[in-house]
Amino acid sequence: MNRGAVSRVLSILRGCAVILLWPSAGISQELPTSNVPDVLTRNTGLHLEPMPRAARIYAENCQGCHGWTGVSVTEVPTLAGRIGYFARTPEGRKYLMQVPNVALNPSSDADIAAMMNWLLDTVSRAQLPSDFQPYTAEEVARLRKARIDAPAERRRVIEALVASKQIPSPDVLAIPHASLY
Amino acid sequence: MKPISKTRFDRLIERSSRSAAQRISRRSVLSRCGAWLVAASALPLLPVSRRAQAAGKFASDFANQAQTKDPTQCNYWRYCSSDGYLCACCGGGPSTCPPGSSPSPTSWVGSCINPDDGKTYLIAYRDCCGKDSCGKCSCLGQEGDMPEYRPQVNNDIVWCFGASSMVYHCSSAGLVGLAE
Repeated sequence: MNRGAVSRVLSILRGCAVILLWPSAGISQELPTSNVPDVLTRNTGLHLEPMPRAARIYAENCQGCHGWTGVSVTEVPTLAGRIGYFARTPEGRKYLMQVPNVALNPSSDADIAAMMNWLLDTVSRAQLPSDFQPYTAEEVARLRKARIDAPAERRRVIEALVASKQIPSPDVLAIPHASLY
Repeated sequence: MKPISKTRFDRLIERSSRSAAQRISRRSVLSRCGAWLVAASALPLLPVSRRAQAAGKFASDFANQAQTKDPTQCNYWRYCSSDGYLCACCGGGPSTCPPGSSPSPTSWVGSCINPDDGKTYLIAYRDCCGKDSCGKCSCLGQEGDMPEYRPQVNNDIVWCFGASSMVYHCSSAGLVGLAE
């Protein structure tokens, strides 16, 4: 075979390669890929960023019932736009750490402090007092030791918030199914 | 015996080799070398080593057996804490309820390792409620599962709280987020 024939064959092969590769190159550029290796998310373009540790503590321990935004069904007390009120008095600040599922939670004191500070700031910043001091692990450790009668303590804390004019009426923090608690 | 070597270094070597020759037989050297050879080659056969290999690369036993392709199998990676019938086998998907049932508004959140990237993801185990038990693909994943006296993280109980009906149909496993 002479040199001209060889170069003709090569150019034909190159043309075939371009035709064969063209569609697959186009598809791989158009389909969005996900950073989650999973059969369902692979082509959805879903991109997940690692969540902060405080958010993870909330997700693993609270979110299932309270919802990601702090709002859930009427059987579960709403957190969003409300829990910041409790931080306005020393009794309310204690109460947030002494409600049973916070006090008895297996997470460390440091994790609980980080989670509660993050949650207050995320779902109820507008209700926080202007001089709010974030919880520390030491404070959490001290407050979490107490075991309270949650419904009775809640009533007492809310009465004190009304008496000190931090909230206009107990209805602001009412829960629809009070008998459940 | 008087050393035949002249220099001090030679004398030292001569003395030590003569004393070795007097105390140790040639066969003992051969047998010791042989023993070391056998011991070195037998080391990987010890049960400790086999166990380390069988343990796999993840801390979670479930993740070492898991796959990311088929949500109708118990070893699909998201089911590491799922206890019940897979919605993916009942006309729904791993994170969608089959027709006629509705997702519970409450769920319990666990974490599973994705075997393909080794990262930990948060998974919401949400029961589909309002229809009789599906009865297909019964699976039992127990990562992070706690006894009934810790109900928030127990998967034996029916998680239909807040749903219109407490009748359990199947379990779904929705992706909530990336933990780390």
